[in-house]
Amino acid sequence: MVKSKSSALGIIFPNHYDPLVPELVNVRMMASIPFASRYRMIDFILSSMSNCGIDNISVMVNNNYHSLMDHLGSGREWDLVRKNGGLNIFPPYSERASKRYNGRISALASLLGFLREQKEPYVVMADSSIAVNFDFNDMIRHHIETGADVSIAYKEEEIPESLRRTLDHSKGFYYTFNIQDGRITKIYVNPTEKGVQNFSMNIYVIDRELLIDMVNTAFVRGQEHFNRDVLLTQLSKLNVQAYKYEGYMARISGIKSYFDENMKLLDDYNLDALFSGAPIYTKIRDDNPTRYIDGAKVSNVMVADGCVIEGEVENSILFRGVQIAKGAKVKNCILMQDTVVESGASIEYLIADKNVKVSAGKEMKGADTFPLFIAKNHTV
Amino acid sequence: MAKEMIAMLLAGGQGSRLYALTQRLAKPAVPFGGKYRIIDFPLSNCVNSGIDTVGILTQYQPLVLNEYIGNGQPWDLDRLYGGVHVLPPYQRATGSDWYKGTANAIYQNLDFIERYDPKYVIILSGDQICKQDYSDFLKFHKEKNAEFSVAVMEVPWEEAPRFGLMVADEDDRITEFQEKPKNPKSNLASMGIYIFNWDILKKYLTEDELDPQSENDFGNNIIPNLLRDNRKMYAYHFSGYWKDVGTISSLWEANMEVLDPEHSGINLFDENWKIYSRNSGMTGHKINAGAVVEDSMITDGCRVAGTVKHSVLFAGVKVEAGAVIEDAVIMGGSEIKAGAIVKHCILAENVVIGENAVVGAMPEGEECGVATVGPGVVIGENAKIGPNAMVDKNVKGGGEQW
Repeated sequence: MVKSKSSALGIIFPNHYDPLVPELVNVRMMASIPFASRYRMIDFILSSMSNCGIDNISVMVNNNYHSLMDHLGSGREWDLVRKNGGLNIFPPYSERASKRYNGRISALASLLGFLREQKEPYVVMADSSIAVNFDFNDMIRHHIETGADVSIAYKEEEIPESLRRTLDHSKGFYYTFNIQDGRITKIYVNPTEKGVQNFSMNIYVIDRELLIDMVNTAFVRGQEHFNRDVLLTQLSKLNVQAYKYEGYMARISGIKSYFDENMKLLDDYNLDALFSGAPIYTKIRDDNPTRYIDGAKVSNVMVADGCVIEGEVENSILFRGVQIAKGAKVKNCILMQDTVVESGASIEYLIADKNVKVSAGKEMKGADTFPLFIAKNHTV
Repeated sequence: MAKEMIAMLLAGGQGSRLYALTQRLAKPAVPFGGKYRIIDFPLSNCVNSGIDTVGILTQYQPLVLNEYIGNGQPWDLDRLYGGVHVLPPYQRATGSDWYKGTANAIYQNLDFIERYDPKYVIILSGDQICKQDYSDFLKFHKEKNAEFSVAVMEVPWEEAPRFGLMVADEDDRITEFQEKPKNPKSNLASMGIYIFNWDILKKYLTEDELDPQSENDFGNNIIPNLLRDNRKMYAYHFSGYWKDVGTISSLWEANMEVLDPEHSGINLFDENWKIYSRNSGMTGHKINAGAVVEDSMITDGCRVAGTVKHSVLFAGVKVEAGAVIEDAVIMGGSEIKAGAIVKHCILAENVVIGENAVVGAMPEGEECGVATVGPGVVIGENAKIGPNAMVDKNVKGGGEQW
């Protein structure tokens, strides 16, 4: 048998928490949201897995997945073009009546045949709504040492207001734990308490055989959610271990948090914390270096390649191929790929999706608490 | 299946006039233009021109180049049939030999070309910065029903004596070749880029190999032999940007020209003719509050807190607050500490310039040297490096080198 480098295979849920950022997922999914000037959200989990030697990765796409397919291609940039394993993209299997995945269970149920065939003893599962440089090997080690059936990573932090304010359950579920001697004794679904809590990162390590059994049973019972319906009810039976993560994490829980998490990276300390570990890979665009032309004035910005800057830019994140004309003013903005700001335009607290054009002389201002959003391909 | 045309890229040159920059790497691997290496230009030209098979002849310090080329994927040259192949000299049953000259390098790899049985072979040089459509060159070659064509550039007559010159009639047929003549009869300089009919190339290389007097060089031997036999030889006029970056000053100058594409003609912002390169994989660059950036090119991984004017920074360069950089080419991973002044110079990869050190100087009168610091060199605090210095060893704090 060909030995796998890793003892685990990976499963990523790229649509998880899409409803939290309706503006950004209009033409894409959580996983393909541009982040940190040249990445997409999925790059972080995918690179982390790849860097840990996990090279058999399934991406359970649900809807709006063209942008992600385009981004991932064959998986070469993440070193995931492998004879054994590699990157697999699983869209919902069209049956007599085409159905989307509802929760993790239906997605995993469609993967059962595949899971049974695999050799790796463990499965790691993650969403793509968090940007982390995560050491899966350390978590797998912890899982084995504690004799866990299931391990869940968490971070001690407050639940973002945007989540707490979501009163109905239409936007998905989030979880906090009670932990006793490392073991999770209670799981709370969509809690609204303030203050620092054991907030789940939705990163799991689980024995593959156990996962197959659990999904099989749950699917037959019509259950949808792995955490809410399966784990929560079996905490006394199963050894569910908590794995504390203390590294840097950006969690996208709304358009405001998207704005804030990008802006946080203008602080070198945060930037180093997220990127100084293993490298984060992304799709290569072969842009030329960014050019600053005479008259450009920039201060506290993160800029990707391929930009041409002649105007003023302050406290902003520019993605690849952005053009800022002479006399244009950009302050506290996130401008995605190929945004054009024409001469004399002035924008503040604004998120421009890809290919947006701000015409000459236009002025637009959002606020610190409420950044403006301009949808993809729009001209202002 | 036969290929119409394959490329042979001469990349064995030591580039000895680049001194400190080429101690440990071949000239085609020298970094250029913020995120490229020189060899990215001919390789990208090949793939943009529809050539999918490239043999790279290496000899001098090939490690960096080999690793950089890898399987050719960044240039889309990882192909099932063809693709990019690095061809160092190798041992045969009859013995082994280094490449004795440009012609001999190709001669030793005739078997490689034979595998693809091409109609035409284009010979490229790995030390020029040039965006050129080789398919247009091939069209010319075919239209003229030529057996050999050479790409030429018109140069000012006063500079003509520095070049190999092609004398051609009004139909562009070559009648004479002059190598660096005192009295030039032409101002058409050879760019060292040739298209041969495969049978002609094979015949003349084989013949040349049997001549013990030959230097096995295209310019000195093969072209004169073709002329002697009155072969159908034509000169293809190229008028775009072309620069041989064989010297420190021309390398520095070409980098500065990248900053001014409107006038210099070397535009890297060309969606229709992209130059591909192996990616650094670093995050976007950061310009801090208080930093000054004017008229410069900056790429991924850079952190700028100081002042950068009219300069090219490669991936991962760090410029601390209070440092001043002007008219400089700073290659990947170098660090400029607080208060250092770096002007009119080339710093190779992973150089460290200590606090308040001074490297190079803006031209003054006759004095216009480009100070050069070799890869990995550490310049200590308060050290002074003069404008003509070529530094390949660490300089202690407070030390001087002129």
